[in-house]
Amino acid sequence: MELNNNVLHINSISKTFNGGEDFVVNNLSLTLAKGKIMAIVGESGSGKTTLIRLIAGLETTDGGCIELNNTVVASDLIFVPPEQRNIGMVFQDYALFPHLTVFKNVAYGISKSKTRKQQVEAVLCLVGLNGFDHRYPHQLSGGQQQRVALARALASQPSLLIFDEPFSNLDVNLRIQLRNEIFDIIKKTGVTAIFVTHDTQDAMAIADEIIVLKQGTIIQRGTAKELYNNSVNYYVASLFNQFVMLSNLDLECFGFYSQNNKTSALRLNEFILNEDCEYSLRSKIAKSQFFKGQFLNTLKLQSESYISFYSKEDLTGKVVHIGFNKKNLLVFDS
Amino acid sequence: MKLFRFTYLRRDFNKWSIYTLAIIAFIVIPILTIFFKLFSGPGESWSHMIKYLLLDYSLNSLYLILGCTLLTLVFGVSSAWIVSRYKLPFQRALEWLLILPLAIPSYITAYAYAGFFDYGGSLEFLLRNIGLTSSKFSVTNIYGLIFVLSISLFPYVYVVSRAVFLYQSGRLIEASKSLGASEFQTFFKIVLPMARPAIVGGLVLVLMEVLNDYGAAKYYGVHTFTTGIFRSWFALEEISTAVYLSAILLVLVFAIIGIERFLRGNRSYEISGKSDFKLPKLALSPSWRVLVFIVVSIPILCGFVLPLGQLLYWTVLTFSKVASLSFITIAFQSLGIAFLTSLLTVTFALLVVHFPLWNRIKLLSKSSHLAVLGYAIPGAVIAIGVMIPTLHLDKWLIKVGKQMFDLDLGLLINGTLVVLIYAYIIRFIAVAFNPIEAGQLKIGKSLSESSRLLGKGTLKTFFKIDLPLLKPSLFSAFILVFVDAMKELPLTLILKPYDINTLAVKAYEYASDELVMESALPSLCIIITGVIPILFLNRLILNGTK
Repeated sequence: MELNNNVLHINSISKTFNGGEDFVVNNLSLTLAKGKIMAIVGESGSGKTTLIRLIAGLETTDGGCIELNNTVVASDLIFVPPEQRNIGMVFQDYALFPHLTVFKNVAYGISKSKTRKQQVEAVLCLVGLNGFDHRYPHQLSGGQQQRVALARALASQPSLLIFDEPFSNLDVNLRIQLRNEIFDIIKKTGVTAIFVTHDTQDAMAIADEIIVLKQGTIIQRGTAKELYNNSVNYYVASLFNQFVMLSNLDLECFGFYSQNNKTSALRLNEFILNEDCEYSLRSKIAKSQFFKGQFLNTLKLQSESYISFYSKEDLTGKVVHIGFNKKNLLVFDS
Repeated sequence: MKLFRFTYLRRDFNKWSIYTLAIIAFIVIPILTIFFKLFSGPGESWSHMIKYLLLDYSLNSLYLILGCTLLTLVFGVSSAWIVSRYKLPFQRALEWLLILPLAIPSYITAYAYAGFFDYGGSLEFLLRNIGLTSSKFSVTNIYGLIFVLSISLFPYVYVVSRAVFLYQSGRLIEASKSLGASEFQTFFKIVLPMARPAIVGGLVLVLMEVLNDYGAAKYYGVHTFTTGIFRSWFALEEISTAVYLSAILLVLVFAIIGIERFLRGNRSYEISGKSDFKLPKLALSPSWRVLVFIVVSIPILCGFVLPLGQLLYWTVLTFSKVASLSFITIAFQSLGIAFLTSLLTVTFALLVVHFPLWNRIKLLSKSSHLAVLGYAIPGAVIAIGVMIPTLHLDKWLIKVGKQMFDLDLGLLINGTLVVLIYAYIIRFIAVAFNPIEAGQLKIGKSLSESSRLLGKGTLKTFFKIDLPLLKPSLFSAFILVFVDAMKELPLTLILKPYDINTLAVKAYEYASDELVMESALPSLCIIITGVIPILFLNRLILNGTK
């Protein structure tokens, strides 16, 4: 077997439910190089959680092969149980053992040795929880529990660390703070990691590479920038952009005439609020709402559709010129 | 749905698959025995049975089912609604007193009623004392049996109905009222239809107990399938006839379960969102309060106070005669057997819950749920089902002992505690399985998965994570099985070793020997062991609503 730098290599794996009728993961292949962070995004039901459970050995595959560090751990004939895969996992609900203290939770995966105590202390220090050893999980806040879960997973020095929706139980501010901290810790330890999330902001902030899943297959993979700028289809674009859909009739209101049957869309921040653009119209703003430091304006086109765009000031009742340049128009197959 | 594919058999078959198979076989063998024994043909008295008795058995069982359905629904649902909806004097006391009839085994309630109402009984004595002539009123007939079984089993319906009313109905009742519906309309259009699946579930438990009953039916002279099985076994000594009757009884049991499943369909009336809303209780006008209080008190008086009073009275009369060293021995034997049974049953239930989690063949995991069938199968049927294969095993051991070691062995297994406890485990495993499975579901999968990913194998994970967290569920399961084992009669009568006795059997023997007063002391002992866990169960429900 040719050895390479990949921690994870997945070759055409599938997972079915209902006796082989429904594919949750369908003929999926991917590789992940050592030290890289990958994010798996997709709507609920797209197969992302099943995929990581297959990697971790918490489910059996129905075809295909998974290699970890160049060793086959799952195939039609082989199944290596999760305890032998050396994978760490941070669960959505943290899965901290409620009857064990923070120290015992973190020490759980470390084999007994003289240095065990130091190891636990070092990893607790890394996540900023030194001094919390004797507390029980229920005595910690959500963010602290998340850190303990991370410390516990890191303590056993896994070759691959998987995060299953790690921030979904946290409020927005804590989420951003913790996201940055975890990113620093991962980079510091150099561990290879997979993040599963339905929030593309998390994915874009943390991952070297993102894969987009839909119905158990990879629709697109690339960096955050690639997925934002060159979405292969409407599904991917809708995950990474905030835009309004525009029908051919809507486009005609701007003086843009399209002959094809494709779907067009424009990002909210790419509307231009003056006449200096290729296609524009003049209309009265129906309403202007304050939203995160700017105003989200809504106006009704002659085609009866509503469009929204951002501005720095309140435009309620004002008549404005609004338009776009052709190069910013996103066009997808219907 | 395809649950099994040969492609992955080599990969997915592990030691846990073998253990799962073994445990399924352990539980299912007695049931399959009944099925296979059917092919060896009926006994000599079967034609006589069909001609003269079968119609009697069938009609009586049908009347019992219909009568008990009606009465337990009336007692159970009405009392549950009243205590969950209205402010009453002694509210908390009423809530748990309504569960207490379950602490008295139905055959003991039956003895007490017969002693109270029948000729020369306590009622006649009381009436005579106040100068009235006694009426000739007998309860030892099918109507009396329906009443006695219903009044002692209605708490099954009461407990589930109350849980549904407390947990689920609150917001919907308020919504219904805000839309202009009256209290009466709200109850019949919203509360009752929503609670129906749970109520039917409670009712099925009642009917299983009705079909399982032997002691009360025998004492009241009502011929049912269970008394028929005993008759074939003890009087006619014809096992094949007993097997045929058992098979018919099983069909009846599965028909009831089938109807319940059909009625339930895919309906789930769980309400999403917060369940911490507690329905405020309504105050009633003084006259209504008295009326409602009387309505709720009737099942308590009839189901608990009257039989308990009768038993206490008899105990006072017979204590010196019954309380002896041999009685204490029986009490300890009974406690010991119940303790051992509970310990083993809880262990088996724990295995039935966990083996499927560790085994990767889905078909096997699903099949392990067959284990919970035992509670639906009447004790007498399980006894026959256990006895036949163990007798075969004994015969084989005798043969092997003779041929290989030239030993004259007697029956090594039959007639010992091993067979009795084996049968108890099959009968009560569902009682232990339900709280343990619920506990495991509450813990969730992610803790044990976490442990596995941190490098610990299945057994280490089980002992370090699952077992410590399951302690409260194991405790509940232990207590529930303990009480059931203390009360059990039909199965014990068939399978108990001749030199060992239980309180339940002793009470039955006294009653059968026309010494019903003497049955009071063993009955009281059974009731005392039953009351404590029932109060514990009530506390669990109350905690659940907080």
